Amino acid sequence: MSKLVSRLPQIPMLPTLVAGFLLIPALQSTAGPEPSSSDLLSLRLAPDKTTLRWKDASQQFSVVATFAGGRETDVTSRAEFSLADPAVARLGSAGRVVAAGDGQTWLKVTFASLKAQASVVVVDSARPPPFTYEKEIGAILTRRGCNDVACHAGVKGQGGFRLSINAAHPRQDYDWIVEGGVFQVLTDERGEPIVPRVDTEAPESSLLLRKPSLEVAHGGGLRLEKGSADYQAIANWIGRGAPYHEGNGGDLPKVEGLEVFPREGLLQEGGSRQLIVTALLSDGTREDYTHRVRFESKQQEVAELDRQGLVRALNPGESNILVRGAGYEVQSRIGVVAEWIHDYPELPRANFIDDEVFAKLRKFNILPSRRSGDAEFLRRVCLDLTGRMPPAGRVREFLADPDPQKREKLIEVLLDSPEFVDYWTFRLADLFRVAVFPVGINPKWSQSYWEWIRDAVARNRPYDRVAEERISAQGYSPASRHYLPYLVLPPPENMMGEEIRVFMGRRLDCAQCHDHPYERWTQDQFWGMAAFFGSMFRLGANPESVVFDSPDGREVAADVPSPTELRVLHPRTGQEVAPTLLNGTRVAFDGPGFPRGEMAKWITSHPYFAEASVNRFWSYFFGRGIVDPVDDFRSNNPPTHPELLRRLAEDFARNGYDLRHLFRRIARSRTYQLSSAVNRTNRADRLNYSRALSRPLDAEILLDAICDVTGVPETYGNWLHKKKGRGGAPRGTRAVQLKETDIYQSTFLDTFGRPNRFSIPERDGKSNLTRALHLLVGSTYNEKLWAEGARVYELFKGGASDAEIVEELYLAAFSRFPTPSEVEELERLIAQTPSREQALRDLQWALITSREFAENH
Amino acid sequence: MLKRVGCQVGTKEQWNRREFIGVGSLGFLGIHLSQALRLEAALSDTARSSPGKAKACILVWLDGGPSQVDTWDPKPNSSFRPIPTNVAGIQISELLPKLAKRMDKLAVIRSIKSFGNDHPQAVHYSATGHLHNPAMQFPALGSIVAKELGPRNNMPPYVIAPRWEKSTQYQDYFKSAFLGPDYAPMTIPDPSKEDYQVPNLSLPKSLMPAVVDNRRSFLQAVDRHYRHRVESLEHSRMDAFLEKAWDMILTPSVGAAFDLSKESTRTREAYGLDSVGQSLLLARRLVEAGTRFVTAAGYHGNSWDTHKGNDKGHRDRLTPPLDRALSALLDDLNQRGLYESTLVVAMGEFGRTPHINPDLGRDHWPGCWSLVLGGGGLQTGQVVGKSDEQGAVIVERPISIGDLFATVYKAMGIDWHKEYMTPVGRPIKIANSFDDLTGQPISELV
Repeated sequence: MSKLVSRLPQIPMLPTLVAGFLLIPALQSTAGPEPSSSDLLSLRLAPDKTTLRWKDASQQFSVVATFAGGRETDVTSRAEFSLADPAVARLGSAGRVVAAGDGQTWLKVTFASLKAQASVVVVDSARPPPFTYEKEIGAILTRRGCNDVACHAGVKGQGGFRLSINAAHPRQDYDWIVEGGVFQVLTDERGEPIVPRVDTEAPESSLLLRKPSLEVAHGGGLRLEKGSADYQAIANWIGRGAPYHEGNGGDLPKVEGLEVFPREGLLQEGGSRQLIVTALLSDGTREDYTHRVRFESKQQEVAELDRQGLVRALNPGESNILVRGAGYEVQSRIGVVAEWIHDYPELPRANFIDDEVFAKLRKFNILPSRRSGDAEFLRRVCLDLTGRMPPAGRVREFLADPDPQKREKLIEVLLDSPEFVDYWTFRLADLFRVAVFPVGINPKWSQSYWEWIRDAVARNRPYDRVAEERISAQGYSPASRHYLPYLVLPPPENMMGEEIRVFMGRRLDCAQCHDHPYERWTQDQFWGMAAFFGSMFRLGANPESVVFDSPDGREVAADVPSPTELRVLHPRTGQEVAPTLLNGTRVAFDGPGFPRGEMAKWITSHPYFAEASVNRFWSYFFGRGIVDPVDDFRSNNPPTHPELLRRLAEDFARNGYDLRHLFRRIARSRTYQLSSAVNRTNRADRLNYSRALSRPLDAEILLDAICDVTGVPETYGNWLHKKKGRGGAPRGTRAVQLKETDIYQSTFLDTFGRPNRFSIPERDGKSNLTRALHLLVGSTYNEKLWAEGARVYELFKGGASDAEIVEELYLAAFSRFPTPSEVEELERLIAQTPSREQALRDLQWALITSREFAENH
Repeated sequence: MLKRVGCQVGTKEQWNRREFIGVGSLGFLGIHLSQALRLEAALSDTARSSPGKAKACILVWLDGGPSQVDTWDPKPNSSFRPIPTNVAGIQISELLPKLAKRMDKLAVIRSIKSFGNDHPQAVHYSATGHLHNPAMQFPALGSIVAKELGPRNNMPPYVIAPRWEKSTQYQDYFKSAFLGPDYAPMTIPDPSKEDYQVPNLSLPKSLMPAVVDNRRSFLQAVDRHYRHRVESLEHSRMDAFLEKAWDMILTPSVGAAFDLSKESTRTREAYGLDSVGQSLLLARRLVEAGTRFVTAAGYHGNSWDTHKGNDKGHRDRLTPPLDRALSALLDDLNQRGLYESTLVVAMGEFGRTPHINPDLGRDHWPGCWSLVLGGGGLQTGQVVGKSDEQGAVIVERPISIGDLFATVYKAMGIDWHKEYMTPVGRPIKIANSFDDLTGQPISELV
């Protein structure tokens, strides 16, 4: 969009000598240290052309200098602007050009020794723009934040006054303003009192002005200063009778999208950058909307904005800048660095994951950490692929192995291991909510459901097939069990919401009661999808009942629920809703297959499915999703690496939705294999995979690790068993192997965040007081230290020296050798402790309590 | 225990929309300036955040759902007689004779209406004020109070005692959800058991303070390398919690608060040596020491779920411990001068059917039920709301769980209009009434 002006040839052009050029002096400098001007490569002006239509129309420009090494700097405030023909356009402040008279001219800009120019065409400059509510008043309400989700665009409106988000539905907003009435969330009716919010006889008495200017109490505070230009504009409009359109305003082209420049930008701490927002109009033209939108920085400690769209970089990090207006929302991602890396190195890459991740790191001027050491890699990959730490012997073996391919070989060994099957069965059983109570009280059912998952993992069944089978499950298929908690079917909307969230990563729930507040999901779409679950019914008596879909969505049999219960009614209209996919396709009952099965096929072949799936599995390896939370894809929660997500999803789909393939891809990438040690440039980064982020081990993994390291297994009682003390898990059972987690008692697992699987499991690895207390004096941390069979006890009995014991425990707990200074210090501590036995207990306690042990890093 | 019963929930239309044109909807009424200003004054500090008298709250949780006609709302369709109380004009069931003598200390609500026809949904609703939704979890009343008032005297702000011993399904509904671990309840084993040990709050016998110090030295030595290499905010969070945990373990008064052996045998017996009595005694010790909210769950495992033998269950098993323990608690709090600053609420997740089923039981009944509350400066010795002649349908002054919560908040000086924003940007009312309205404090009480 910009014109690049190369360094050579340069036309000497001394502005002061050229008649007719208007000069503005350079504004004060805002940037920090930057490369010298000798590194300056090119200068560009954005946009490179514009058409200004109507009287006083204007365009914001941005001047960007590119230096050697690819660094871009906004020099708008320091460049010199001039206009070739001041009769056509004049300069406003800070890079803005204002129409003066019809014609064409050039905006010229000079910075250091470089120049750039843009064409400016002015038409209809004598005519004021035709008035439309949406463009003039709607934009004010957007810019002032009145139609934020937190204010009047909330689902419930605010104080009875409802506006659409970003003025997406200007006509409705207009009606609420000029007709009045109280918005009611659960009905379409307009509540009393119905009093206009404008007073055309006395504009300044209008509620629309009195509230935001705090003439009367306003929960949203001061939004519109009395006497400001915006205030005056609204007052004038009301005084003119508050029309929706004036003149030929109705014929103006509609806004069909917004664009922001730049979409990605990098700033140095203390620097600034001008954003430019352009509306794409229905007649194919473009119009500057920078002054008609609202800017919001998602990370205000990183970057802040003023109302004109000038970003100021405050602290290193990354922020999404939301730009909202005319019913649309776009984003610009702004990175802030503390210092520039002048000679950014070439980084070795293993596959496309690294291409994408490293490209962004380079753009954002962050150096990734070095490649992990063998010990670090071994521990991490064993935990991520199999949920357990490598035994001491394996650590020695791996560290000693000189084979340059040993990492790749290890990954293959782990992917083929029985531990892999245990671990991923556990992960999927969590996600799919296998537990006795959520799937129907009868352990036989939850067990067959669990075995179905285990079989899928063991045989490496394509994940789309697994998903399809779960969504469409009926009859005696094990996967149908999750539809039958408490012997009754959950409401169709709950079943639908869960499947969409698990397999498409979207939360439609908001749309259950109202159109989604910041997505395009409507209540109609929600209930259309819910209707796919509306013809399900339960057949047979407890405990052998099964779930089926009525073949025609109507009659079933005399002794099963009456036909009227097999319909889904729209809560607002009361009308029956036909099964309708999110894309609007209706699926009839007389088609091939049954509707829920058709929907399952549609979901699993939709791009959302592959995207949501890879994103979720990615998060198991990196501690966060590319979209995070992993099941909250929405326009204002964008992926940190959109292209990476797309390529992962494509790769997953192209390779038959093979989970092992996906895991191999991830584990082999350099990105995954980076060290967790920070460097100077990536300390603030938590979003870009510039290092391995440490993550707390999940409850089950941590407990299994404690058992492995101490050598003392856990026992799990079964509270459901008829005979007290019976039915416990066999000794040696690992926490990840428990089929139905909810019937096995474990204070440890409950304390450390085992989810109950009654709702879609969310794990919280954060510390809290109860956990801290348990670490200090809880039974798990005190009763496994010294017992027959306990690792440290056996070493002690076998006559091992302090140094040998320290080494063995370090290998088991940290998957590494202790450093000489660690050995020395621990030997000293052991010697200082009154008894050696106590010292060894305390050492063992310290190892399993340490963060190095309790985290994956 | 998870038997489905066919009881009906009242329709939404029955619900009184009285509050809609109220304080919460000031905005659109602002056209009448004088009114607006008056309302604004009503909304100012005095109304919204005046300091409450109550500093702590004890929720006596009657898991499973007591029968309203056999307890607080005696009716002819109960097998038990109504008896007079020490407040003229108020009668309760003969099954609660001790409490009848202390009626002046309690207010009875006979017109509670909630949702959820089975225990999971109903416990969730009554504990959080929100309908169960598999897509998200809501914070419970106790966690909200803990967040709004904060901890006192090093004591954990929110405690559940005893914890649910079997499935933690219902207990999970009493947690902090998106408010996070700082406001999650600390869960305590049954204090009436012989082997009751203050869990994780006292050093095991093998662990002397000197050993504790030694362990800290080892831990520092072992973790130094990693802490140096990997930076994580979570480490300092963890350290802060560990410090706090050490403090709690080593602060005698904290451990002592959990130690029932410091009570005289007479006091312990007055409460009853069962789980219900001892957990209420523990609750008193905890709020006295600084805990903000205790869910005393001596009845758990759906104790009150009398689908079979309702009368026998209420008479022999259920009401005696409640009558004894709650009476002892009221006396104890009053004698210690704590009742003015301690709210007490006794409730289950719903009521029970007015009719007796073929198993001589009563099934679930969320549409009209009763609870009691008092202390914390509430106006007690009165009845609010009225049910029909069978205790089946509300005929006067329906009260929602959101109204109950708002009452608790107001008594504690918490602004009941508050909404929390979930991590995904959904506003959640802390006092959620029906039809998306904000609950209002019960004006007769507070």
